Amino acid sequence: MDKAEIKKRLNDIQSLPTLPPIVSKLNEMVADEEITAVKLGKVIEKDQVLTSKLLKMVNSSFFGFPQRISTVSNAIVLLGFNVIKTLIVTSSIFEVMQASDVGLFEHSLGCATACGIIAKRRDIKNPEEVSTAGLIHDLGKIVLRSELPDEYEAIVAKAKEKGLYMRDMEKATIGVGHGEIGGILARQWNLPERLVFPIEYHHKPEQAPDFKEIAAIVHFSDILIRAVGFGNGGDPWVPPLDHGAWERIKLTKSQMKEVIAELDEKLLELQDFTLDIKVEG
Amino acid sequence: MQRIPIKLAKAGMVLAKDAVTPEGQVLCGAGTSLSEELIARLKRQGVLVISVQGHPVRLPGEMVLSEKLKELDRRFSKVKDDPVLRALKHLIGEHLVIEEKGEEFLEKLKKGS
Repeated sequence: MDKAEIKKRLNDIQSLPTLPPIVSKLNEMVADEEITAVKLGKVIEKDQVLTSKLLKMVNSSFFGFPQRISTVSNAIVLLGFNVIKTLIVTSSIFEVMQASDVGLFEHSLGCATACGIIAKRRDIKNPEEVSTAGLIHDLGKIVLRSELPDEYEAIVAKAKEKGLYMRDMEKATIGVGHGEIGGILARQWNLPERLVFPIEYHHKPEQAPDFKEIAAIVHFSDILIRAVGFGNGGDPWVPPLDHGAWERIKLTKSQMKEVIAELDEKLLELQDFTLDIKVEG
Repeated sequence: MQRIPIKLAKAGMVLAKDAVTPEGQVLCGAGTSLSEELIARLKRQGVLVISVQGHPVRLPGEMVLSEKLKELDRRFSKVKDDPVLRALKHLIGEHLVIEEKGEEFLEKLKKGS
């Protein structure tokens, strides 16, 4: 199978949740400059299921707001529309993921947590956006699993048997990696480039055409969360570090120590959150 | 510090963080030493999980420190030659030791070796 065919298959994805109709409506509303967070919030709040899912996500520990966010319009003001939109678009995907691959779900939440911690330290304007990029960085893996289940199984089995990284096996088996696949899908959904590039380039952040800093943070967070052994990203190994990206966001030894301690504490809270979801599911 | 379900709490354990209800209400501050009465009260108020000092409980399925360190080694086995990642591994290892045995133990360990 070549790249063109993969692209074609991604284009007419059936089993994966398509965009909820509410998203195109929201996109139209956002194009209107007069629109307010309150008005947007009201539209979303008409859908109670979506609202409760959304509020659960925004109140989870990886965004780390000290007080509870209780309305959608508040969430939009605090997190920005890009984040809320992404959470709406991906909420059904995360449902699929929770059911089929808890390890990958935890890996994603953990990576989001690490992204948030590092982004805040670097005084990035909207650290929640970086968390969100971390949350969906492995989008491509979920798509692979649901759209090309035979190939996916072969990739996992081969990686395990040969003791190799999943990403190398993806390239060898279907010719594209999950980063690229995630990028294709994120683009189809019209997610902004500050989210698309970090997903697409999370293994080679220096090659991203733009938003290299966000890509670098997602890249390192992916490494860090595997390093501490939280969740399961497919194979059990810490992947190689891109030193160009590291130069961009580098932490001193004592900063790194603080990040590890902060991450550990947040991950404990996160475990309560995933446990909560498992119990409810 | 260890986070444990309230049903595993024992008198004499010391809170490492505030005990809070799922709604976020603080019932009892960090540093408080737990008594039987206090534990019963926390349970009644709906507290599910607390953070205590040290590492008093071995949860089911939880690895002992030596196993945790071995797993850490294994995870890093493909990137052994990277100096940055080597340093990262070292810091995570130190963190695991501190979490379980405390800061003093690590200092002693360092002096010993």
